[in-house]
Amino acid sequence: MLRLFAQLILRQLRAEKLRTAITIVGVAAGIAVVLAIRLTNASAVRGFEAALDLTSGRAGLEILGAGFGIPEQVLPALDWLRAYGATSPVIDGDVLVRVGQPEASSQAPARRTELLRVLGVDILRDFPVRDYQVGETDGGPPTPRAAADILALLTDPAAAVITRAFADRHGLRVGDPLQVIISDRPKTFRVGALLEAEGPARLLDGNFLLMDIAAAQWAFERLGRVDRIDLVLADGADVAAAERAIAARLPAGLTVQRPERRGQQVEQMLAAFHLNLTALSSIALLVGLFLVYNAVSVSVLARRQEIGTLRALGVTSRQVQTLFLGEAAVFGVLGVGLGIPLARALADVTVSLTSRTVNTLYVAAAAAPPALGWQDIALAVLVGVPLALLAAWLPAREAARVPPNAALRGAERAQARTAPQTRTRLLAAALLAAAGGLSQLPPVRGLPLAGYLASFALVFGAALLMPTLLQAATQRGRLLWYRLFGVGGWLAHAALGGAIGRVAVSVAALTVSLAMMVAITVMVGSFRQTVIDWVGQSLKADLFVGPASRRAGARAPTVSRQVEDTVRALPEVAAVDAFHSVTVPYANSLIYMGAGDFALQQRFGGLRFKEMVSGAGDAGAVLEGARTRDAVIVSEPFANRYGKRAGDRLTLATPAGPMLFEIAAVYFDYSSDRGVVMMDNATLARHFGPQRPTGLTVYLKDGRQAAAVRAHLLTQLDGAAGVVIFTNRSLREEVLRIFDSTFAITYALQGIAIIVALLGIVGTMMTLVIERRRELGILRAVGAGRGQVRAMVVAEAVMLGTISQVAGLLLGLLLALILVYVVNLQSFGWTIHLAIPWGALLQMCVLVVVTTLLAGLYPAHRAMREGRAPLEDE
Amino acid sequence: MLTVTDVTKRYEGQDRDAVSSVSFVAAAGEFVALMGPSGCGKSTLLHLCGAMDRPDAGRIHLGSTDIAGLTDEALTRVRRQRIGFVFQFFNLLPTLTLAENIALPLLLDGVTPAEATRKARALGDRVGLTARLQAYPSQVSGGEMQRAAIARAIVHGPAVLIADEPTGNLDSGNGTRVLQLLTELNSSMALTILLATHAPEIAAAAHRTLHMRDGRFVASPEHGAPDLPVAAVPRAAR
Repeated sequence: MLRLFAQLILRQLRAEKLRTAITIVGVAAGIAVVLAIRLTNASAVRGFEAALDLTSGRAGLEILGAGFGIPEQVLPALDWLRAYGATSPVIDGDVLVRVGQPEASSQAPARRTELLRVLGVDILRDFPVRDYQVGETDGGPPTPRAAADILALLTDPAAAVITRAFADRHGLRVGDPLQVIISDRPKTFRVGALLEAEGPARLLDGNFLLMDIAAAQWAFERLGRVDRIDLVLADGADVAAAERAIAARLPAGLTVQRPERRGQQVEQMLAAFHLNLTALSSIALLVGLFLVYNAVSVSVLARRQEIGTLRALGVTSRQVQTLFLGEAAVFGVLGVGLGIPLARALADVTVSLTSRTVNTLYVAAAAAPPALGWQDIALAVLVGVPLALLAAWLPAREAARVPPNAALRGAERAQARTAPQTRTRLLAAALLAAAGGLSQLPPVRGLPLAGYLASFALVFGAALLMPTLLQAATQRGRLLWYRLFGVGGWLAHAALGGAIGRVAVSVAALTVSLAMMVAITVMVGSFRQTVIDWVGQSLKADLFVGPASRRAGARAPTVSRQVEDTVRALPEVAAVDAFHSVTVPYANSLIYMGAGDFALQQRFGGLRFKEMVSGAGDAGAVLEGARTRDAVIVSEPFANRYGKRAGDRLTLATPAGPMLFEIAAVYFDYSSDRGVVMMDNATLARHFGPQRPTGLTVYLKDGRQAAAVRAHLLTQLDGAAGVVIFTNRSLREEVLRIFDSTFAITYALQGIAIIVALLGIVGTMMTLVIERRRELGILRAVGAGRGQVRAMVVAEAVMLGTISQVAGLLLGLLLALILVYVVNLQSFGWTIHLAIPWGALLQMCVLVVVTTLLAGLYPAHRAMREGRAPLEDE
Repeated sequence: MLTVTDVTKRYEGQDRDAVSSVSFVAAAGEFVALMGPSGCGKSTLLHLCGAMDRPDAGRIHLGSTDIAGLTDEALTRVRRQRIGFVFQFFNLLPTLTLAENIALPLLLDGVTPAEATRKARALGDRVGLTARLQAYPSQVSGGEMQRAAIARAIVHGPAVLIADEPTGNLDSGNGTRVLQLLTELNSSMALTILLATHAPEIAAAAHRTLHMRDGRFVASPEHGAPDLPVAAVPRAAR
């Protein structure tokens, strides 16, 4: 059997190197994309969890406040916590550090900023929680220092302790100045000491800065509170029991949880985003598997006579089936083998494409993918090889059914004009009906699983209809192709009619890829237009002022009083809305809690309401009512994700304990799918205490002066290195820039799927050329010129591309409806208004047709070599 | 008129000539049969005379044109305009109907589909395929396929028809009908026919028969003697 496999299958695979290579590359690309996205998703969650592990140290539990930390005055009342172990209050923040030289030169890199994670701790209390090791200043081997020594370094308010890794990277030495931006405030520290790679110093490639807690409170304007208290439980303590006991004794407004809980919340928050990427990556794998199906089908068709001979010689049908499944296994194994290293390289690209989105919209994530683990490799093998076998199952079964007398009848090339089977059509109809039904089902645990199933049912249903479509396309239009490509087009049209069984799978693969591209283009285009409309209606202010560190991904940076006062003092300013935005836990996930001046919202407008509490009247009345009744308004994604409506109530953790808030209205919001709960500034202050704002929206007396006022303000703020000021127009551009970068990964993945599908077309054309060499010989014998034969092959490739494009366009528009109205709504909770970007779709059509034309050139070249004389008795 | 002078052809990797210093003349309107055992060089000679290949040595004149020295493009033009082929296994394109197969040489020569189809239909009627013209090759009998192939070979009015075992894959009834068609075309169109066959009864229908063995002409199948130039001279010229 092995010898037979080597002779019949392996020899053929070696002989048809290009087709074999295309199939293997197709499977490899599918595997690589799936693994790369898995690594990408893992990088975000694991990056956060790794940071969590390093910053939490040995802490088994942590005590948290409600939204804005723990008031310092309650700390003495928590002395009883020491009974459970060592406690350490912490300030946890981010700063921007300016590195490089002001003027770039060949020796020194240009000036730029990097984000550093800052821990402010009481070092004497923190030693049981985290490990620190200060290196010798002369660069010699590090020696452990006593807490008191580090304390001495930290008590100098102008000194900063950074990591040796960071210092080495930027040529910093002890004693050098270190320019940082904390929220919006530039400050210059001196490098006091260098931390060796131990404990939190291993964080984010060494982007870590250690401060004394008091200095950190001052620097971050968090005087009078700490962000959390880390608790290291005594050896052998039962964590669950301790958590329950502590929860029972904590005063209102404080909660206890395990640090890993924050990781779970992040995971939950990212679930829909990651599921979308995973679903998208599976398309490339699907296309790769189409190629396996195609390759084995062609292999079976082309060797019908050989199979018949084998059967006549006594090879069983089961053995024949095994032989062709073996061919698929070769594709699967080699594809997986190539796909795994490819995945690692691809993951670098996908992480860089997604990390900006994750950092901007969700959480600071790792910039590099994790290493491939054995689980990833096992997954690739366990998914790739069985799916390749599954893809080849039908053609292998067809091979097993070849009768022994097939050897006598010849290759039966002439019997290629097979009509699509009724059974296939019925199955297609059933799948399309199932797609319709599934698209009506609700989400499962907040995830649009039925929506994805509907998409897959639609895709498979459409793929099964491909032979029918091809049949229809080849029954008409021969004259059109004659006009376009001369007699080559005429012949190609006829030839395609006889090759439906062979090309249907390739066309289906390309159609599916193109349909996904169309669907995503329509979805993204609709989404983009919706966001443009929303931004146009929502962004009413003339200037937007915020801390520069927010853009770099710093958590909860605030606007300093000096900046706020400077802005308010400008004579051109009509009003300033000091708004707040903070991440808080809510129902196993994380949401934004925001606050603004509802009176100004009433006056200037901006919010668009989806629904309002009954009897509230107009938008102004709703805001007025919310302001006076301490009610909140929630974003559409929040309402959809948590099943809330106007008039419902929701519970928020406040310093006074859990508190019920009435939802006055649901407003349209496309800034975050996490969900936002908004309240008036007065409500926030009443329940959470006075807080520094996280941004300012500025309404000018004359909006036309925005650019001039911005320039004036920058001067007033002395260059304002720590502040970002957007005009209304530049903020709109910024929103769209972030939007576009969010979907870069989407297009990249689709691009790969389309390239794989186009490879499939090249492979199919090659196969057809090889299979038709006798017919090409006949054509040459009856006087077909080289150009005419080339035109025939190219025209056939273009036909395949055109048919795929037309089918892909139709299927894509249907998929777009599912993406827009089911998947996106259920994943992210926002309403998107369908807007079809015809221009982009037209460009895509032209590009695909031209690409398929190019894809036909090499097979056309091969056709000239393959066309052999049909006089074969010599 | 087809004039073959001292033509030799050896295929790459072979240690002997497939055709060795062969000469003969087929006059306009002459029906020449080529006989010999398998591997004797018949098909190679047909290839060379049919402008499908070039000889290593010698000249092949089709009318006044020496096709042995033509470029690939010019050879293609010769095949398209001046040669017709009929093969043992019909070699119709399976994805074209019989009518489309017949029209193919015209289309390749730039005739419009409408005109080519009209001529193909007319010729299809003449060879007795009126009812089968819209059928695909897989849907008709061997005899019908061969009649379509003959129609395809003459639709463009070639000077020479090359037929390689045209009845070799047919039963005797269909074989006879195909032979009748060829002789009728030969006489009615003054078509030069060069036909390779194993069957003496087919060769008997020709004006003259050339016997080949080991790449050369021989006096008769029994003799196996070297070239007898006299056998290669048209009867009319003797």
